[in-house]
Amino acid sequence: MTEEEILKEIEEAFNLNYERLRLEGGHALTEDIKRLALQMVIRYWKKMPDVAEKVTDTEVKISLPEQRSPKRRKFSIEGIVDILKEEDETWMYDIKTHDGKYVEKHLRDYEKQLNVYSHIWKGLRGEELDHTAVVALSLPPQLRDALRTGDEKRIESETAKWNPLIEIPFDQKHVDETIKEFGQVVDRIEDNVFSPPTLATLKEKIGGEQFGTRICLNCDARFSCRSYRKFALGSSSPTISAFKKYIEDLGPEADVEGWTTDNLEHSEIPEAVDIEA
Amino acid sequence: MAKSVTLKDLWAEFDFKPNKNQEEAILQVDGPLFLTAGPGSGKTKVLLWRTLNLIVFHGVEPERIFLSTFTEKAAHQLREGLKTLLSVVTNRTRQPFDLAKMSVGTVHSICQRILSDRRFSPDSKRPRTPRLFDELEQYFYLYKPSNWNRILEASGFADQEACNHMVNLTIGREDKGSRHVAVTNAITFFNRLSEECVDPIEAKKKTRDPDIRRLLDMYRCYSRDLSMEKPFGAVDFSLLQQKALDILNQNHAAEHVYEHVIVDEYQDTNTVQELLFFKLARGNRNICIVGDDDQALYRFRGATVENLVEFEQRCKTYLGVKPKRIGLDTNYRSRQLIVKHYTDFINRCNWRREDGKGYHRVHDKKIRAHSSDGKPSVVASTPGPPEDVFSEIVGLVKKIIRQKKVADPNQIAFLFPSLKGNAKAKGFKEALEGAGLKVYAPRAGRFLELDEAEAIFGLFMLVFGKPKSEGPFSQDLMKYHQWMKDCTDFADGIAAKDKQLKGFIADKRRELELVRKDYEVIKAFVKRDRWSDEMPFTSDMRRRLAEAPGLSFRAKKALNSKYLQMVIEQRMKEKDPFKLKYIVNRATSLDWSVLDLFYQLNAFKYFRDFYDAAEVDKDEGPLCNLGIITGYLARFMDQFVPIITASYLDDEKLQKQFFLSYIYALYRREESEFEDQDDPFPKGRIPFLTIHQAKGLEFPVVVLGNPRKRNWEASETEKIARALTGRGGEPIERIGEFDNMRMFYVALSRPKNLLVIPHFRGTGQVTSPPLKQMLDEGDMLRIPEFDLRTLPEADHDSEDLGKNYSYTSDYLLYKKCPRQYMIFRKYGFVPSRSQTMFFGSLVHETIEDLHHLFIENRGKS
Repeated sequence: MTEEEILKEIEEAFNLNYERLRLEGGHALTEDIKRLALQMVIRYWKKMPDVAEKVTDTEVKISLPEQRSPKRRKFSIEGIVDILKEEDETWMYDIKTHDGKYVEKHLRDYEKQLNVYSHIWKGLRGEELDHTAVVALSLPPQLRDALRTGDEKRIESETAKWNPLIEIPFDQKHVDETIKEFGQVVDRIEDNVFSPPTLATLKEKIGGEQFGTRICLNCDARFSCRSYRKFALGSSSPTISAFKKYIEDLGPEADVEGWTTDNLEHSEIPEAVDIEA
Repeated sequence: MAKSVTLKDLWAEFDFKPNKNQEEAILQVDGPLFLTAGPGSGKTKVLLWRTLNLIVFHGVEPERIFLSTFTEKAAHQLREGLKTLLSVVTNRTRQPFDLAKMSVGTVHSICQRILSDRRFSPDSKRPRTPRLFDELEQYFYLYKPSNWNRILEASGFADQEACNHMVNLTIGREDKGSRHVAVTNAITFFNRLSEECVDPIEAKKKTRDPDIRRLLDMYRCYSRDLSMEKPFGAVDFSLLQQKALDILNQNHAAEHVYEHVIVDEYQDTNTVQELLFFKLARGNRNICIVGDDDQALYRFRGATVENLVEFEQRCKTYLGVKPKRIGLDTNYRSRQLIVKHYTDFINRCNWRREDGKGYHRVHDKKIRAHSSDGKPSVVASTPGPPEDVFSEIVGLVKKIIRQKKVADPNQIAFLFPSLKGNAKAKGFKEALEGAGLKVYAPRAGRFLELDEAEAIFGLFMLVFGKPKSEGPFSQDLMKYHQWMKDCTDFADGIAAKDKQLKGFIADKRRELELVRKDYEVIKAFVKRDRWSDEMPFTSDMRRRLAEAPGLSFRAKKALNSKYLQMVIEQRMKEKDPFKLKYIVNRATSLDWSVLDLFYQLNAFKYFRDFYDAAEVDKDEGPLCNLGIITGYLARFMDQFVPIITASYLDDEKLQKQFFLSYIYALYRREESEFEDQDDPFPKGRIPFLTIHQAKGLEFPVVVLGNPRKRNWEASETEKIARALTGRGGEPIERIGEFDNMRMFYVALSRPKNLLVIPHFRGTGQVTSPPLKQMLDEGDMLRIPEFDLRTLPEADHDSEDLGKNYSYTSDYLLYKKCPRQYMIFRKYGFVPSRSQTMFFGSLVHETIEDLHHLFIENRGKS
C-alpha cells in the first residue's frame, strides 16, 4: 500500500468511528479537537512505524476478575493492550492519549499498571512477555504548532524530537499491593467521595509546570473547583482584575486561537433565522 | 475448545443455581427457541450463560453471534458480564476470547454495524455509511423551512398552512396550522411507514383517500431527500432499519453471516425488525427470542406485540420449523403476594380472540414466586379524597425510611402512567416535600423548568439579551415568553446576591458590544473600498483592514496575529484564498462558546454549592441536571453554529436561533432527559418515574402513584398503517384496554418487598376498572393495619458479577482528580475544550483499525 492509501484508510476509519461514537455519546467534538485526534493517530504511525506496522494482537482486552474491595464490593480490573510478538521477544504496549510528562511524573502508577497487566498476561494466561512500555501520544506543543503551520520540514523535525515511548521496567512485584489500592479507589467511587486534590498537589511540579497549570487548565470544570480557585486566585477576596483574568483564561493563547480558526472554518452563519410565531 | 473447565464448574464458581427451565434454556442451542420470561425470572442471566455456552463450549465465534437488546445500557451490561465470565475461562484454559466483533447492542446500533460491515457488502469493500439522525436531529431537519416546504410541495398543496392543517387533522385529529405540530405528526407517521416497510408508490394504489395519498407523497419525498444528503445520505432511526434490510436482501450470503440470532425484549419489536431477524436467521435457523407479551409497552413507537404472541406460527412460516418453547416463570424478585397480585390482575381482562380460537396473549404461563415469604406485601391506602391519601402514603414512606427498611430514599419509586402535568404526581410531590423528603422527577415537568435550567438560561439571557419578538403569539409562544421571563427573574435574583457574577455579566455584555462595534467599523470600511463578501482575501487587504480607523485593540490583534498572516499566505499559495467574509468573522469572533460560558458561570456561588454537595455524597440531583444542560449546549454547537461572531449577533440572529428556535423547540417538545447509562437515580431523592422508564427495573418499594389511565382510541397512524399494509392484529377497538393492562402489569411487578396502591375516592376520582375491582374486593390490606415490622430490610444492590473498572479510565483518572472523574465520567458532562472519553476512544479505535490494516496486509503477502 502506498502512503496515500494508508492515510486515506486512516481517515476513513477515523470518520466512521467518529460518527458512531458521536451517536453513542450523544455529542460531537469540536473541529479542533477532532483534528487533533486524527493527527495523533497519523503521528503515531509516522513516529513509530516499527510498532504500528508490526503489532500482532491489537487492543486486546485483559481482565482480572473476581476481586473484592476492602468494603467487600466485587469488581474486576480491566485494561487494553497491544502486543507485538516477534521471534525472539514479545512487547506489550499501553497506548495512552494523555500527557507524556504526566506519565513520567507518575511513573510509579504506570509501573504498577503494567505490572498488573503482565501479571494477567504472563501469570494467568501463561503467555510470553519480555518488555512493557507506555506509548504516550499527546503531542508536544511545538509539534502541534508545526502541524498548524502545515510546514512539512518543521513537522518532520518536531516529530523527530518527540519521544512517546516510555519503557517500563518489567516486573511482577507489588501486584497484590496495587490490587488492594485499586479496591480502595473502587470503594471511594461507589461511596461518592469526589473531593478535588489539595492545593499542595496543585502546586506540585510536573515537567517544569505546576499541576494546576498543566492539568487543571485543561479541565473545563476548573472554574467551579475549590482547589483550583485557591491555586489561581490565592486569596478568597481577589481584586476585580485578578478575578477577571482568572475567569477569562481559556488556556494557552495558541490553543485558543487554533480553536477559533478550526471551528470558524466549519461554521456557517445563517443569513437569517426562521422562527415560528 | 475448553479442556479444563465445565459449565457446571463455572456455575459453582459464580454461585449460580439455575432452575430446571433456566438450565434447559441455556443448554438448548440448536434451532429456534422461544423463551417467555415473566417479571424477575432471571432472563438476563439465562441470556448471559447461554451465550457463554455457545462461545466456550460450542466453539461459536463471537462475531457470528447477533444479540440485540432494548437499550444500550442492557447491551453494555451483557457485554461486561460476558467479559467477566470469559476472562475467568481464559485464566483457566488460556484460551483468549475477543468480544470486540460480536454484534451486541440495540437493533439500531447493530443495523449501523451491518451498514459498515464488509461481510454484508456485495463487493466486500468498506461501505459508505449514511449519517444517522437521532430523534431531535430528525425533528430539526424536518422543521427547517427549506426542507419542510419541499416536502409540503410534494403533497401538491400550494398553501403551507392548509397543508399543515391537513397533516394535523389526518394524523393528529386536531385542526391546527402549526408547523411544529405538523412536523411532530409527520414524524410519527413517516416512522411508522418505514417500520412497516411501506412502499409509498405501491401504497398509493391501495387508497383513494386524497389526504393519505398526499401524505404518502410527502413520505416519499422525505425519504428520497434524506438519501441525497451529503456526503453519503442520511437516515433516521426507522429508515436505518429499512436500509439494513435492503442490504441484507441484496446479498444472499447475509443469511449465513450469523450462526446465532438472539433477540431480547421481543414483545417490543416491530415489523421491519422481525423481517431483519428472520432474514439473518434463515441460513442457520438458530433464532432465540426472549420476552413477555404482558410487558409490551411500545405500540406508540410502532411495536407489535403479535411478533411475540404469534412467534410459533411466524417461525413456521419464515423458517419452516416450530420453535421449542421454554417458560421462565419463576419470579426471583418479588415476595409471594406481590406475584399473586399482578397475576390476578392480568387475568381480569378477557384475552380470548373474537373467533374463539386462542388468545391475544400467551395465556398458559405458570408464573410463581420463588420467595417463600407470604407475609403482607401489597397494601392500599384507606379510601378517601386525594389529600388524605397523599398524607397517609407519605406517612408510610417516612416510616419506611426512618426505620431503615430501605438503604436510601432512592429505593422507593413512585410510578405513574404519565408524569407531565399530572395532578397526582404534583400532589404526592408536594406532600413528600412538605414532609422534608426530596423528589427526583425529571419527567414530571419540563426539564427546562427546573431551577438549574432556569438559572443557566436566565443568565444566558442576561448576557446575550432576551430576543425580541413581536406578536401575535400562539399559546405555546406565550407560555414560552413567560418561561423566559421566569428565567431572567430567577437569574436577576441570583446575580443580585453575587457581586462577582454581576461584574462578570457586565464584562461579557461589554465584550459583545465591542465586537458589534468592530463589525460596524469593518462594514463601513469594506463598503468604502467596495470590497465584496465573497472576494478573495490577500495579505495586503489584511494590512489595510487592520488599520481601519476606530477598530478595537482586540480586532487589531486578531488581524495582526502571526498565525493568521501565515494561514492567509499559505491559502494564497494554494490558490484557495480565504473569502473576505471569513476574515471579517475572524476579526470579530469571540474566543468563547456557549459551553465555555456555561463552565464559567459555574464559577459562581449558586452553582458551586451544587458541586460541593455532590463531592461529599450529599445531593446528586443538581449535577445530573447540569450535565444534561451541557449535552443540550453541545448539540446546539454541533447542529447550528459553534462560534459566536459579530455577524451572528447582528440582527439578534444568535439570540433568535438559540432561544426562539433551538431552546423553544426543546421546550415545545417537552424534552426531558437523555437515557442515563449508569446510575439513573440520584441518592437522597425519591424517584418519580413513568412506568415506561421503570421497564426492566426493580425497587424494594413501589408506590403506584396514579392507578388510572383512560383507554384511548387507537391512533390514526395505527389505523392508516393497518389499512395500507393489510396486516391484522389485535382488534382496533380493544387496543387501548390491552395496552393499559400491560402497562399496569409492568408497574405492579416492579417491587421486591412492598407495593403500595392509593385508593382515591370522591367526586372526579376514577380508578382503572380492574384495579378498582381489586381494591373494592374487601380482602385488601390497608395502611393503618399494616405492620411495618414484617417488611424486610432492602439489601444493598446485589451485583452478582461485580462491576468492571478500567485501570486507565477509572482508576488512574480518579487518582489524578476525583472531582474531574465525578463530573465527566460519572455525570457525563460534555467538555468544551478538554479531551475526555470520546477523544480517547476515537484515537484508540482508529489505531486499532490501523493495526488491523497492517495485520491484514501481512496476511495477504
